[in-house]
Amino acid sequence: MSLPDADCRHGQWLRAIAERRDRAAFAALFLDFAPRLKAWLVRAGARPDLAEDMAQETMLAVWHKAALYDPARATAAAWIFTILRNRHIDQVRGTRARTEADFPPPPVSPAACPAPTQDAVLIAAERAARLHAALRTLPPDQRAALHLAYFEACSHTEMGKALGVPLGTVKSRLRLAMAKLRLALAEDEDEAAP
Amino acid sequence: MIRHHPSEALLLRHAAGRLPPAHATVLDAHLARCGQCRVALGAAEAVGGALLQTLAPAALAPDALANTLARLDAPLDPLPAPGMADRVPDLIGAWPARPWRRIAPGIATLALSPRDATDTRLDMLRVAPGAGLLGHGHAGLETLVVLRGAFEDGVASYAEGDFAEADATLAHRPVALPGGPCICLFATTGHLKPHSLLGRLLRPLLGM
Ligand SMILES: [Zn+2]
Repeated sequence: MSLPDADCRHGQWLRAIAERRDRAAFAALFLDFAPRLKAWLVRAGARPDLAEDMAQETMLAVWHKAALYDPARATAAAWIFTILRNRHIDQVRGTRARTEADFPPPPVSPAACPAPTQDAVLIAAERAARLHAALRTLPPDQRAALHLAYFEACSHTEMGKALGVPLGTVKSRLRLAMAKLRLALAEDEDEAAP
Repeated sequence: MIRHHPSEALLLRHAAGRLPPAHATVLDAHLARCGQCRVALGAAEAVGGALLQTLAPAALAPDALANTLARLDAPLDPLPAPGMADRVPDLIGAWPARPWRRIAPGIATLALSPRDATDTRLDMLRVAPGAGLLGHGHAGLETLVVLRGAFEDGVASYAEGDFAEADATLAHRPVALPGGPCICLFATTGHLKPHSLLGRLLRPLLGM
């Protein structure tokens, strides 16, 4: 079993941070993710100096929130991605204080968030590995549509123009792509079902 | 039971944080009511994480890691929890009390956020049973979620929690169904086409 190596390490590092405030694990996670967080932000239209700051702040948030990471709910990369995205949205909206006052996060009870076990980390890593494999085998036009939806700073109707096809075609490519990716993600649930 | 859901394209752009805030709010209102789409959003976030890992890394400042390590023990600003749907428990209750503005018999609107940098605005719309908005066209993306009551647009009917989206290619004719008033949250990008009745009705009043 060699595929989920990177994702497995990421899950274990998060666990080490949550359980032992392990700075070496944090540094390793930082070196893997921070440069990509910055790359994502720059593609989203952030100025490079602001992208640098926000990449560092996102990693600080990862350090502080590591105990909230639940491998049963998300891969390590997906969890870090949502922290990055939420910070970016709040920064773009410029209404962070108001958003939090209006919509406080639900309280997290220890029972609702059990410490991740080695098994859960492994299962999340295997799920991530299936996802990576499924992404690699997508037809090029579906991959291009996905990259456009996630990474290019363009409007809904501009997505079609960017690929030179009608918007309806982009939408159906995204539907086909996500159907395959969801299947890959859900494989372990099928196995668990009687 | 919710029968109308956002398109995959819209969910993906939401997961990626790429929607104008007004559309994101409308989508959050649907997500707060729709477990199926929350699951779909989770998958879209997983794909976002996987795609993030495939990006070519950007060069960081030489002291980036040292700088961050030095800040680990400082207290952190409070942060929103991951998972946007969790943050929107009840949109009706969360809005400040503002007066509804009557724009036609049986129809009133409440402006929630003005036109922003993406040319998108957020409004609440209240339509009395049987009252209708004659067909209108869109110049850009329009999203809508039913918060109370129901309407039908000549093709399908939409009840509480149902989501509708339209882009530049679609025109529809919403009519509120009998029962109580139909209250919708809607976001519009660009300007409604002026030849339509809704456009004529709303343009002078809302600046559409
Ligand atoms: Zn839904």
